[in-house]
This record gives sequence, C-alpha cells and structure tokens, in this order.
Amino acid sequence: MVAAKKTKKTHESINNRLALVMKSGKYTLGYKTVLKSLRTSKGKLIIIANNCPPLRKSEIEYYAMLAKVGVHHYNGNNVDLGTACGKYYRVCCLSIIDPGDSDIIKTLPAEQ
Amino acid sequence: MVKFLKPNKAVIVLQGRYAGRKAVIIRAFDDGTRDRPYGHCLVAGIKKYPSKVVKRDSAKKTAKKSRVKAFVKMVNYQHVMPTRYTLDVDLKDAVTAESLQSKDKKVAALKETKKRLEERFKTGKNRWFFTKLRF
Repeated sequence: MVAAKKTKKTHESINNRLALVMKSGKYTLGYKTVLKSLRTSKGKLIIIANNCPPLRKSEIEYYAMLAKVGVHHYNGNNVDLGTACGKYYRVCCLSIIDPGDSDIIKTLPAEQ
Repeated sequence: MVKFLKPNKAVIVLQGRYAGRKAVIIRAFDDGTRDRPYGHCLVAGIKKYPSKVVKRDSAKKTAKKSRVKAFVKMVNYQHVMPTRYTLDVDLKDAVTAESLQSKDKKVAALKETKKRLEERFKTGKNRWFFTKLRF
C-alpha cells in the first residue's frame, strides 16, 4: 500500500514546511482562488484536505493534471489544514504560489 | 505550471444558455480587457449537436442529420471547464473579437463556423467533440 500509513514524522515535517510557506511565501486559500491560480499557471503545488468533497477533489486534480502541477492530499481534514496554515478557519484546499524559503515543492512530489 | 487555456482547447461551457455544450477556444484574453477586467476567452461551440446517423438512412437523411448549429460567445474562464481534448479547426480568421459587435458580422461568422464544424464532423475525427455530453 503506498503511503497508507503516514508516519508521524513526515506529517510533522509537512506541517513545518507549510508554516514556513505561510511565513515567507505566497499562497492562496480556498477553492475559487486555487482554480484561479491554476488557470493563470501561478500555482506550484496544490494541497487538498482529506474531507474535500470528491467532485471538487477530482475537479482540482483534473485542472492540476492539465497544468502539470503536483497535488498533495493532506493527511487531515479541513479543520487540521486550517490549523496547519495558522488560521482560525477551515481550509479545504490551498495553492502555493511562491514557496519562499521552504523546500516543500521539491520534497513533497518526490515523496509520492 | 503550464498554461492550458490556449486556442484550440476543447472546453465545456458551464453557465448560461449554452451550459453543457462543448466549445473550442479561439482566442484567450488572460488579462482581460477594459470592458471585461477578468480572464475570458472567445469560444465557438455547438448549439445543436448532429444526430446519430444510421446505415439505413438515405443520403438526404444523412445530410440532414449531420447538420451542426454553432454559437460564438465571449465567456469568463470561471464559466468554462477545460478538458484534455483539442480541436484543430482553424477558426481564427472566421471568428474575431469584432464578429460579436454587429448582427451581420455575427451571422457571417456563424455561417463560416457551421461550415467548418460540419466538414470536420463528416471526416469522423474528433468524435468526442461532436457527441452530446450526457448529464
């Protein structure tokens, strides 16, 4: 099974990398802006929460396939993803436009 | 990080009178214009799909069933679903941004589009584009 058991260590490191992106990089949160960033080819990595509705998830994945952008399925629901972003609201999907100091774009697609 | 809303891309119109119809991007305006300050594109699509042609149809019936009614429209990117298909039909000279300004220019553009789409349909290529999307 590929990536069925996400170890705690890699999960924490994703959270750390996300926090660094929030601090130093550019990102957008939310479905509408994620699609916008994909259409204008600004998004570099898409992260989707695990309780995202399946139709919306496949739509984002299809756009990302057309734009040749990586999609990461976050191991947590939208509440957890919002917390990982340091926000007090739920975040179902987010798009990283400029990773800043973080290496999330290099390490994350390499894991999958 | 690849731009995919380019000319010749097959898309599905999601909103408006032509919702559910397949169309092809003729010209993309990524940064918008002064009248439309958002990303939009000029699309030409199929208003009425050609019907299914059966072997026992006469030549007259086949001709009637293979007719395509076209539409030309400026659509917002948000109201369009891109697909992985492309349609390689050259409509750049027939349909321009100014074809939508006046009625007679639009009629001429639609006539030309209809002709080109029909001849593409008759060759049997791009079959996906000429089948109705069931939903």
